[in-house]
Amino acid sequence: MLEITSTPLVIMAILGTVGILLPIISIARKEQGSNSFYAIIAFSALIVSMGYVGYQFIEDNVSASALFSEDVVVDDAFGGFFAIAMLIVALFTTVGSFNYMRKHNSPAVYYSLILLATIGMVLVAYSTDLVMLFVAWELMSIPTYILVGFMKKNPSSNEAALKYFLFGALSSAIIVYGISLSYGLTGSTNIGEVIQGYSVLDPSLLPLALLSVGLFIAGFGFKMGLIPFHQWLPDTYEGAPAPITALLAAATKKAGFAATIRIVILGMVVLHLDWSLALGIIAVMTMTIGNVAAIMQKNISRMLAYSSIAHAGYILIGLAVASHSSLGLQGSLYQIMNHAVMKGAAFIAIAGIVTTLAVTHIDKLKGLGRRMPITALGLVIALFALAGIPPLSGFWSKLMLFGSALDAGSALWWAPWLAIAGVLNSALSLAYYGWLTRKMYFEGEDQKRVVEPKSIMAVMIFSTIFLVGFGVYPEPLIKFVEFATPVIDLGIMP
Amino acid sequence: MAIEVLGMSFEVTSAWLIWMLPFAAALIMPGIGKLSKKSTGYVAVGFALMSALSAASLIPLALEAGEVHSQIMWIEALGIKAGVLADPLSIIMANVVGWISFLIMIYSTGYMKGDKDITRFWFWMLFFIGSMQLIVLSDNLLQVFFGWEGVGLASYALISFWYRDKKKDHVGVEGRTVLGMLDYYSPTHAGMKAFIMTKVGDVMMIAGMLLIFLFAGTFGFKELMGDTDWATAMAAQGLLVPAFVLLFGGAMGKSAQFPLNEWLLEAMTGPTAVSALIHAATMVKAGVFLVARIGPIVFALSAAGIMADQFFEIIAWVGAITALLLATQGMVNPEIKKVLAYSTGSQIGYMMMALGIAGLSHQYVDGYTAGFFHLISHAMFKASLFMAAGALLHIVGSRFMTDMGGLRKHMKKTYAFMWAAGLGLMGAPFITTGFWSKDAIFAAVYESGNEWALPLFLIAILTAVITAFYTTRMLGMVFFGKKSKHIEKMEEEGHHIHEASASMWIPYGILAVLTIGIGIIGLSAEEGIHHVFTEYLENSFGIHSAHVTAEASILPGFLQGLNPIALGSSLVAFATGIGLGYIFYIGRWVDPVKFVNSNIFFYSIHKLFLNRWYLNAMVYWCFVTTPLWLARGVSRYFEKTVIDYGMNDGVQKAVSWSAKVIQGTQTGVSQSYLFVFGAGLLFVVLILLI
Repeated sequence: MLEITSTPLVIMAILGTVGILLPIISIARKEQGSNSFYAIIAFSALIVSMGYVGYQFIEDNVSASALFSEDVVVDDAFGGFFAIAMLIVALFTTVGSFNYMRKHNSPAVYYSLILLATIGMVLVAYSTDLVMLFVAWELMSIPTYILVGFMKKNPSSNEAALKYFLFGALSSAIIVYGISLSYGLTGSTNIGEVIQGYSVLDPSLLPLALLSVGLFIAGFGFKMGLIPFHQWLPDTYEGAPAPITALLAAATKKAGFAATIRIVILGMVVLHLDWSLALGIIAVMTMTIGNVAAIMQKNISRMLAYSSIAHAGYILIGLAVASHSSLGLQGSLYQIMNHAVMKGAAFIAIAGIVTTLAVTHIDKLKGLGRRMPITALGLVIALFALAGIPPLSGFWSKLMLFGSALDAGSALWWAPWLAIAGVLNSALSLAYYGWLTRKMYFEGEDQKRVVEPKSIMAVMIFSTIFLVGFGVYPEPLIKFVEFATPVIDLGIMP
Repeated sequence: MAIEVLGMSFEVTSAWLIWMLPFAAALIMPGIGKLSKKSTGYVAVGFALMSALSAASLIPLALEAGEVHSQIMWIEALGIKAGVLADPLSIIMANVVGWISFLIMIYSTGYMKGDKDITRFWFWMLFFIGSMQLIVLSDNLLQVFFGWEGVGLASYALISFWYRDKKKDHVGVEGRTVLGMLDYYSPTHAGMKAFIMTKVGDVMMIAGMLLIFLFAGTFGFKELMGDTDWATAMAAQGLLVPAFVLLFGGAMGKSAQFPLNEWLLEAMTGPTAVSALIHAATMVKAGVFLVARIGPIVFALSAAGIMADQFFEIIAWVGAITALLLATQGMVNPEIKKVLAYSTGSQIGYMMMALGIAGLSHQYVDGYTAGFFHLISHAMFKASLFMAAGALLHIVGSRFMTDMGGLRKHMKKTYAFMWAAGLGLMGAPFITTGFWSKDAIFAAVYESGNEWALPLFLIAILTAVITAFYTTRMLGMVFFGKKSKHIEKMEEEGHHIHEASASMWIPYGILAVLTIGIGIIGLSAEEGIHHVFTEYLENSFGIHSAHVTAEASILPGFLQGLNPIALGSSLVAFATGIGLGYIFYIGRWVDPVKFVNSNIFFYSIHKLFLNRWYLNAMVYWCFVTTPLWLARGVSRYFEKTVIDYGMNDGVQKAVSWSAKVIQGTQTGVSQSYLFVFGAGLLFVVLILLI
């Protein structure tokens, strides 16, 4: 039985209570404008949750990555790892919205939705039951639909919300279909029992099991932004409020990966399916198309949206080789954590630029290094980390991912090509990261410094410390990743 | 001796101090230069003196053929130790280097007076001396290599010392070309040339060193002497001779031996004090010293049945070829410093020849002593000649001998000293060191009993004739005949031709006097060195020397024991050379210009020599012009087309084209997006089913 003090329950309690109370308080106070008040409450709730996750790790109350449990959620290191990544992004978003929301109404609802979406994401990572997973998935998705369309008078925000919602609805339907198929085949919604059921499945029913796995890939692939399930993504990221883009790109995307690792990867091991090739092809397609498309973008949000697609491709390399190299999943988790910080910081920087200068076109970013030195520096560090330049933290995770592909080369002849594709793509990505950097630092000599939002600077400073610190001294983070990575071993199957 | 410093015996302390003092002085030099530019000279000379005195304090040890060896751990992981090895060889060498440099430093205080970069000059001079002494006193090859590179670096910095490339600091005749290559060099070019050319040798040297280390597991000389297993293993793989020849490659570069000789002439762009230092004490002698260091190690292996005759043959022949080649060019060059530079290369060739032939004869010690004795005598007279030439340049203001002439009445001291030192170079019989050392080389070559003895001997004699000739020519052109137009013009303009200052003439005076002074007792000096080296080789390497019982000689009195044929040839060579020189340049009975132009044979030979046997031009064609031409070709036909146009632009175009295609799919229409989504789902399921 799950204890009442277990992490998912406590997080749900804290964030849920605060999330529901915020609008009520605002109604009671009968005022709309005091953005900072709600922001601080939401921020505190997230900090407390974060603290609790950390406390549980330190107190050793977290079980090793269990993957399965009889309950609907499990308090394991895998979930905790994702919870930390997501809470970091949620904190980024909250802090980054501090300035952004000054110009918009209903801050209480806004922050409340962020908290509720965060609960959803965290619970997706902790779920060990398909129904629970689906509920958490929807809890994550529905608030973000609203958040994307939060600027209701802005047509592009509305378009973004609509596209996101259409695709979200479709993918939810697909996921439910997948769940119903697996329930029909195994008579259970508990992931452990489903997978055990698959392992003793009548061969004639195998195509149905395959279909269910394919449906899961497509359904989760929508959130992960895999190609060909990605087309909503650039439009949505561009139209959504910039802090919310950070939440989408850096956090909800990770929920997709968490769910995929919990269900798809293990499910396919049992089905004796070689999923490697399928995921490998999708990985290469995703990163190549993402990077190539990013090169020509003129809008910085859209450029980073494509870059975020490309990064899903890198992460997928680890998943593709997971059964052949123990480094695979580790690399993926490592990259997920780094990507949360890098991409989160990059989009928050854009939020800062948008609120201060009201520009998103790349040509307008000339001389940003002089106009907003801290934001620009934080952005450049994040971009270089995304490109995987040593000694930033992003370098080590990419190294581990590409290393895992090489490591798997003994079992899969084509696996090293994933590493080659990854390296070439990293080089390609430097073209636009470098171009952006050049615009910011080597053009527009005559620009004057403007006042940078303090909240944005705080995020930049945190991300820079994280990326440089764990870049120079990656040991603790690697240890944590190793601890949180589930071991794919048929012996641990229930 | 019971004197101890810091737990080290007096000798050990001295041995360390010899090379550390100049380095220490170099380090403090910039600081002193800031405080007071005037005092830099005193400090530099003082430290050079202390270093030389430290070397002198070890002479008693050398005379009893003793040695001190002190080591400290250097690279723990590889078991490599640093240390000093003061044995007779290094002690004698350290004294030669130390004292000659000390005199050159005194000379420099006069020669470099008023130069505004004087601090930099002293820094590099001291660094130069320190590096050379480090080579001399090292007990292992790796440490030698550090000194070796230090010497190379210092030579680069000093040859290019006048880096502003003023016209008067160039060498060669302006505008003169050989095979289309300019034979006129600026100081910066010359420094670079020296650095790069010697680097070729250095690369060979480090390859040889590492090869030996691979087998022996040590760089130490003592360790290499200690056992022969490594040599057996190397010889079994046929690597012994190649490894040592590679080491000799380093010596060829530093000592300007053929075919790495061409840098030496352009090295004349440095201040004359630097030329003196390079030619008499430091740079070029390093190569000879290295051969003297490793030669006995290789020779001692023959006792264990490991023969390395090819190694010594290569040394002997390289030396012989260089000796003749450079001497011939010295006969025709109009620049006084260049004549001396050619002469240096040629004399170093003699030393190499002697050290090489030693390994091919039964009496190793004869050739070894001869080569080393010649090194000492050469250091004295060549340093003296260079410093005197520097004084001439200083006063006449031209590097060309054709701009001098008739100076003997104006510069009596310089005239006398240059004659004395010049006689040493010519090998004037019985009264100069040069005579005895050269005669010893002739005798060693002649008596070696090797199949190559006769050709080498003939080359040596021929070179001696040429040496005597060009030395006489130099003295004749500078001091005899009429005053040149240049000097007349100077006098018209009110410049007074006068003697050099005391700080300049005293150093070269001392060395000129020593050339004669030691020359008079030359035979006993040689016997003294011979005796020390016999014991040294016996004790350290186990190389036995048969005690030669004095045969009944046809030679009378004090010449008893000398080889009559070598002696006779030496006398004839001297007489022929100086006689021819006298006819053309002192007596001026025949005009050399008319003589050369009188027939096509002399004309062609003259031109060949003046154009440096076309070797320098060929080096430039092969290693400078052709690579540059290839580089331009690669740049034009590969870089611009394949890399720039094909790969750079091509990749860029391909990427932007693909990006446009992808953008084309991003229609913004939700229906088409959903269609793609559905198709994607089908695609995934299909892949899974395969």
